[in-house]
Amino acid sequence: MFRHELIEKNAILMLVLTLLTVAIGGIVEVVPLFTIETTVEHVKGVRPYSPLEARGRDIYVREGCYTCHSQMIRALRDEVERYGHYSIAAESMYDHPFQWGSKRIGPDLARVGGKYSSDWHYAHLINAQSVVPESLMPHYAFLADTPLETADAVARMKAQRAVGVPYSDEDIANAAADLRTQADPSADNTDLLKRYPKAVTVPGDGKQPTEMDALVAYLQVLGTMVDFADPANEKPRQ
Amino acid sequence: MDIEASDLIVGIMMAVFGLIGLIMAAGATDNEIYVFGLSLLGFAVVFDFGLIRRHFDKAELRQKALRGEADHV
Amino acid sequence: MSDLAIGGVMPVAHAPARTAVVYNEAVVRKFTIAAMFWAVVAFLVGVVIAAQLAWPQLNLGLSFTNFGRLRPVHTSAAIFAFGGSALFGTSLYVVQRTCRARLFGGEALANFLFWGYQFFIVMAALSYVMGFSQGQEYAEPEWHLDLWLTVVWVLYAVVFIGTLLKREEPHIYVANWFYLAFILTVAILHLGNNVALPVSIYTAKSYNFASGVQNAMIQWWYGHNAVGFFLTAGFLGMMYYFIPKAAGRPVYSYRLSIVHFWSLIFMYMWAGPHHLHWTALPDWTQTLGMAFSVMLWMPSWGGMINGIMTLSGAWDKLRTDPGLRFSVTAVGFYGMSTFEGPVMSIRDVNSLSHYTDWGIGHVHSGALGWVAFISFGAIYYLVPVLWKRERLYSTRLVSWHYWVATLGIVFYITSMWVAGIMQGLMWRAYDQFGFLQYSFAESVNAVHPYYVIRLIGGVFFLSGALIMVYNLIQTVRSPSTARREALPAGVAVAGE
Repeated sequence: MFRHELIEKNAILMLVLTLLTVAIGGIVEVVPLFTIETTVEHVKGVRPYSPLEARGRDIYVREGCYTCHSQMIRALRDEVERYGHYSIAAESMYDHPFQWGSKRIGPDLARVGGKYSSDWHYAHLINAQSVVPESLMPHYAFLADTPLETADAVARMKAQRAVGVPYSDEDIANAAADLRTQADPSADNTDLLKRYPKAVTVPGDGKQPTEMDALVAYLQVLGTMVDFADPANEKPRQ
Repeated sequence: MDIEASDLIVGIMMAVFGLIGLIMAAGATDNEIYVFGLSLLGFAVVFDFGLIRRHFDKAELRQKALRGEADHV
Repeated sequence: MSDLAIGGVMPVAHAPARTAVVYNEAVVRKFTIAAMFWAVVAFLVGVVIAAQLAWPQLNLGLSFTNFGRLRPVHTSAAIFAFGGSALFGTSLYVVQRTCRARLFGGEALANFLFWGYQFFIVMAALSYVMGFSQGQEYAEPEWHLDLWLTVVWVLYAVVFIGTLLKREEPHIYVANWFYLAFILTVAILHLGNNVALPVSIYTAKSYNFASGVQNAMIQWWYGHNAVGFFLTAGFLGMMYYFIPKAAGRPVYSYRLSIVHFWSLIFMYMWAGPHHLHWTALPDWTQTLGMAFSVMLWMPSWGGMINGIMTLSGAWDKLRTDPGLRFSVTAVGFYGMSTFEGPVMSIRDVNSLSHYTDWGIGHVHSGALGWVAFISFGAIYYLVPVLWKRERLYSTRLVSWHYWVATLGIVFYITSMWVAGIMQGLMWRAYDQFGFLQYSFAESVNAVHPYYVIRLIGGVFFLSGALIMVYNLIQTVRSPSTARREALPAGVAVAGE
């Protein structure tokens, strides 16, 4: 008959059995998500973030926006009516890390892109209570005063490419120009839009993009990449 | 004058970490790595000095005990 | 036979050491002080950010004082700094006593564990306020800090397992099973969730290898088991030593401890997906996560029963030993949270509770009621032992701490229940025309009074901890009862 004493008297045996016991759950739940084809839908429109949006996303992560805002509209009637089409996996496939969040002290942001004007976002980030009196959001005026660190934008894109974001060599070669163009309303953004469709040009001063410009560019693209009105995407092919 | 194996291994390990900290701080491209690298170096130096101090304190006590000066109660 | 086994292990610490093993208690003392220090820091930062949620002007608009950067400081200080120091300290104490062996690796390694871990905590907190974060909850430290923690953690495992291997007792005591599972699993979780590529080795920013849905699954596999192993298994280890010690009774059921140990560590690892109900995570994963979360109720209550029933025949001790009262109340809160958890993991309940303050309330009934209380109980027991004092300075003050802290928890969790359920109901409320009845901003406005009550609860809990700190300082300052040791510990072990 089996006796637990056997394990209790042998530290190495206990160690090995513990490792085996705890390994199973994670393996069963995680590994198939990488191998099952249908986990991430094939939809049109999802693209890597433009250089300015990607830098804005870094700021979103840095400031801990995920502690108060989710980016995951659940497949529930009220959420779909409040925020828009429920989020699908493909929409965050280039998000390293994902920012689905776990708590809504503020509203969900998965489809905030295009909902408000860029000017509204500037005003809101500088002083949220000036546009939404009930808001609990801290003031982020300092972002408007901080020039965006652009020197390492290319290095950051390369690092993202290494973990699976499909930036082309052309994307990387034009990173510096794209960064400036998207924060400069007077610049010609034809090339930018060819590389990054639906990228929203934010009203920067045209000289040096600020952190605020980057963050607003990111917010304005959230949830807009997939066109759910397009019949091809009506039933996302899995 | 023998050195405890534990002191030696941990001491060398910390020296290596201190060096890594110094290298990171030297090449740092942002404040975080600069602060982290320097702090790691400082931590390693203080820790290793602590090891050395403790080693000599113990050696001194042992000497005293040999000479019968230790104040046994 | 089986009952003998556990009886044979428990009295170890009672028996006068047959061969004089000189335990390394210096490192335990240090971790005990650190645990109390970080407890106060964690509760204080918690009070500050709770106040920010009640009155957002308190964010001050400075980058390093804003909620988004301070919240990880609060969670890391509570979980890793306070909880971690308490776990390090008690595990190193318990493993020596129950194995009747001095810590493996010598004094230098033990010192490294202490200072290396404190270094991690301080650097992590500093990096959050400076604006460096991986952006994953409870795994915010960037890659270089993750690597540093890995070094400390591996050496922790070496010290712990090394001590188990050189033990003089034939059996490994049940508390050590839990501590061992905690150390091993946290290592796996930490390595699994932090696979990231730094922009360069001279840059703190990194990008996680996984993205989107896979990243989410890995994160909550990590996140939920940070709860399961850091905040549960480790503290169950604490429970299995300090409750029997303080009550002077053996563990209630040896068989139950075996069954609930293996089932707990097996099932916890599956429960992560309940953090991702109704999301873009595939349904099969959500269903698996829910099923195991509900089943998890049983092994969790196995632990609760084993802890509480250990007092059978010694219930009167609750009157005379307020430290033990903390431990037992902790197990009660543990039972409550581990019932609430499975309920919230049911998809239909979760559709209401997720994203609301109900989750915050749930976490705090676990963190304050279970984790903090079981640690307080252990520390109240440990301090007189470690500093060789006859008793605590004042048991009256322990009672005060107990009631102030308990009241604080009640304020906290009831206000969060009300706030959370209200948010959930307001978000899904429809008016007579079939439109959503409330704007999001209205739900924010509605919870304001509850945020103030929560803040009051937090202030109570913090005050309790300050009473404790005062009591412990006075205890240490009271005259020692120990005879002076014949030789300084260092000399006695020089030949080791």
